[in-house]
Amino acid sequence: MPPNTRISSAANGARLLDPAVLARISNLELLARTVVDGFLTGLHRSPFLGFSTDFAEHRPYMPGDDIRRIDWRLFARSDRHYIKLFEAETNANFAVLLDVSASMNYTSHSVTKLDYAKYLSACLAFFSNRQRDRVGLVTFDHDIVEYVPPSMKHFDTVLHVLDRAEAGRAGSLAEPFLKVTELLRRKGVLVVISDFYEEPDAILSAIGPLRARGHDVIVFHILDPAELGFLFEEASGFEDLETGEQIPVIPARLKDEYLRLVGEHLAEVEKRFKQNRIDYQLLDTSQPLDMALFQYLLARERLSRKR
Amino acid sequence: MSLALLVPLFLLGVAGVAIPIVVHLTRKQRRNVVAFPSLMFLQKIPYQEQRRRRIQHWFLLSLRALALSLVAFAFARPFVDQSSLGLGASTGPREVVVLLDQSYSMQIGDQFERALDEARSVFDNLGPLDRASLVTFGQGARVVARSTSDRLRLRAAVDTLSVGSSVTRYGPALKVAQTIIEESDLPMGEVFLLTDFQKNGWTGDEGVSLPAGSKVTPVSLGEQAPIDNLEVTDVSLARQSVRGRERVVPTARLARRGGEAAKEVMVALELDGQEIQTRSVTIQPNGAAAVTFQPFTLSQPHTRGTVRVPSDDLSSDDVRHFVVSPGTALSLLIVEGTRTGSDASLYLRRALEISEDGRFVVRFRRSNGIRPQDLDGIDGVILNDVSIDGASAERLRTFVDQDGGVLIALGENGGWPESAANLLPGTIGSIQDRQQSRGSRLGFLEYDHPIFEAFSGPRSGDFTGARFHRARGFSLGDSATVLARFDDGSIAFAEKRHGRGAVLVWTSTLDAFWNDLSLQPVYLPFVHRVSEYVGGRSDALPWFNVGQVIDLADPDALETAGLISTEAAGLSDGLDQVALTPSGESITLPAGEGPRYLALDESGFYTVRPPGSEPERPFVIAVNVELEESDLARLDPEELIAQITGPSIGPQAGPGFTDGTDLRREDQERRQSLWRWILVAAFALLVTETLLSNWASRRGSTGVAAG
Repeated sequence: MPPNTRISSAANGARLLDPAVLARISNLELLARTVVDGFLTGLHRSPFLGFSTDFAEHRPYMPGDDIRRIDWRLFARSDRHYIKLFEAETNANFAVLLDVSASMNYTSHSVTKLDYAKYLSACLAFFSNRQRDRVGLVTFDHDIVEYVPPSMKHFDTVLHVLDRAEAGRAGSLAEPFLKVTELLRRKGVLVVISDFYEEPDAILSAIGPLRARGHDVIVFHILDPAELGFLFEEASGFEDLETGEQIPVIPARLKDEYLRLVGEHLAEVEKRFKQNRIDYQLLDTSQPLDMALFQYLLARERLSRKR
Repeated sequence: MSLALLVPLFLLGVAGVAIPIVVHLTRKQRRNVVAFPSLMFLQKIPYQEQRRRRIQHWFLLSLRALALSLVAFAFARPFVDQSSLGLGASTGPREVVVLLDQSYSMQIGDQFERALDEARSVFDNLGPLDRASLVTFGQGARVVARSTSDRLRLRAAVDTLSVGSSVTRYGPALKVAQTIIEESDLPMGEVFLLTDFQKNGWTGDEGVSLPAGSKVTPVSLGEQAPIDNLEVTDVSLARQSVRGRERVVPTARLARRGGEAAKEVMVALELDGQEIQTRSVTIQPNGAAAVTFQPFTLSQPHTRGTVRVPSDDLSSDDVRHFVVSPGTALSLLIVEGTRTGSDASLYLRRALEISEDGRFVVRFRRSNGIRPQDLDGIDGVILNDVSIDGASAERLRTFVDQDGGVLIALGENGGWPESAANLLPGTIGSIQDRQQSRGSRLGFLEYDHPIFEAFSGPRSGDFTGARFHRARGFSLGDSATVLARFDDGSIAFAEKRHGRGAVLVWTSTLDAFWNDLSLQPVYLPFVHRVSEYVGGRSDALPWFNVGQVIDLADPDALETAGLISTEAAGLSDGLDQVALTPSGESITLPAGEGPRYLALDESGFYTVRPPGSEPERPFVIAVNVELEESDLARLDPEELIAQITGPSIGPQAGPGFTDGTDLRREDQERRQSLWRWILVAAFALLVTETLLSNWASRRGSTGVAAG
């Protein structure tokens, strides 16, 4: 089944994933539980429920295997030594790298990009916590703002920091990601959530080292519908949220050129991420969170199959 | 004729034309600021900034530039310089102001008729574009007709004029002329001054300065030959009391200006319009004489009197009117304490008995109390060294509230009940002995107070000779006034007003026990003044002068004017009044809360009565002319003109004449005031530009970023 079909079927069964509805829930944990539980209910027939600790298969005992993993019941019935294998036994590090630069504070409707990113981060953290991953969080703008080291006990802290996170300063990727590379030495799953207002080369040069260190990196590129469609009509002065710079803009004259540049930029970014084997997903803040959650599940499924 | 600028430096402001262009090219777009996450992509788009740098609405820009230029031009104060035209006074429209003297000195000979003829002549010779004003003046100025070219109206206005009774004052009339010419938009101003040029009418410090370029034409109407003028300068009315009847001895003082030989004149005394006496007197040239008439018995209030000499060329000063009423003797009650020595009031009583006209009727009571009947018909009470009881003090409080006056002379036994302490001007203290320093003297007197006013002049009474060996201490209370202090600063005499009533405290005795004031010459007039003040009497004026104003709603003013009894005259506060002027005109003075001013503009008798009534003895006010006007000394017209017109510039300018070509640039600019019209035009341009730019902005808002 193609991914898009799965997404639409899931969306029909999980209306609560609408960001505008989620915005009314102020408690992030409640929000995450609501989203994940509802999402999982809608996916109970999904073949991608592979990240549990369920039994997978037996294989003959080989010298060197841990004798504690021998299935003694099977030995009693068959008088042969078999090793019991479990599927997706992770207990891995999971960290969200959340961009809290000023540009994330933008919205053209009811939910800012940062809010959307917070919901997404909370849901992903909830997912991971349920399967006993160590959950951590890094918020950054042009530097690291908050750092919660991955830990089994840090889920509440992660939610608290997420709840407190505010966008304010200008952002850049190079400096904070350099520090993140140093901080997160143990391999794990890193989810990067940002609007990526940088050139593709700069983005890759910042995130690339994480991948090179062996982290599994999943990138969510969050943009507002107005950024994607340039839904402006009246001639106005456009002010950069991060620098305060203003330029006069006549949308009617610039829209086509803007859309072309944005399209090229997105295509280039996606292409470069794929080249670096980084999962990339563009998210529109007006759309439900399903797509992001599916992207995450796909990535986890892929990771689990590798074990 | 050319366009000139008074302040050309302001033309630098034309550089302000660059302001809208610079603003247009440099200002930031201030319409709808939209916050956007990043301008990363927008900045990559080659933006058509040149559209802003290119001026699209040349017409709007021109309007703005023109408006700013006009503002700068207006500040440069442009005017049309007419100096080069060589216009003389005889050319161009004129603003003519005729000042016609209406003072009573103009009645000499045919001066006033000649003045009227001159005025008519001036109006007849007006040019077609000329305008003229007619201003009459005496003590003040009155605009009869203002800035009109209607000759018929001007002539009609001239025909209504007559000689007045006031004195000559040139200042007000010339200031009116100055105002008319300054406010006129005609290029030339000309003033005709029709007067006899009396020297008394001009002091030189009136501050009149006619606009430059104004022409002043003096028309001197005074008699060239000196005149022989006899005038009644004063009438004194001495009063006598003969067997209880009051008699008045009128004495007229005469003065003669000019003349060549002594002459005998008959002086007549009229009472209530009837000539009752005639006296003959010989008076020398430039001499003076006094005529004393036989005493006449005064029985009726508001008796009108006139002293008259034969009429001469200047007839207004040949009579002197007066109004006299029977004297109102003051009834005083002197209360002396029972413990006081028998001669404590000796000096006081003797002083009050010494008056020719019997102005004081003294009742004496030796008691420490005052009965109600004691105050019947009493004008003032003198408590001489007595300590009265509380009931008496309350009776005195009622007495004071009814406009009565009380003098308390403190001695050894003097005192005042505590229950009526607020009636006094302060608190009475203990006896203070001043024997060691050989006694105190009076160191301060309130000479502005009516009691001491008569002593304010030099050699008008010396209080410093009196020594005070003892006095009662006295501390001043609220709303009280100190009238006299001893040289050590302690209070000698204090007063507290209660409406029109008053309570006065003299802290020493009025006899010779504690001081020797009673032995001083000033004692008698002092006691008289104090008694008159306590009794509430003020001397009525026998006459007023022309030009004075009296408020008929003010009781003090009426008392000063000689009103004896409001009821007798039929006057009441709540009723309208009618004043009949000497010329027979009725002036209605309606009843109301405010003042009722009656301007005394004519010489003679003003009768005030309720409308429609004929009181037997109505209230009459005598009014006489100011004798200052009888001094016919002449002023050099050129001297006056030189002071009001300033120096002339033109070489052909004659005395008393400044040519219109000499108009200063400032005056030309001020008269033309082109800057006002230019500012109006600039404002209109800015409004038009605003409307057009708004329209253009709305129209091009979708495609044009900047206008």
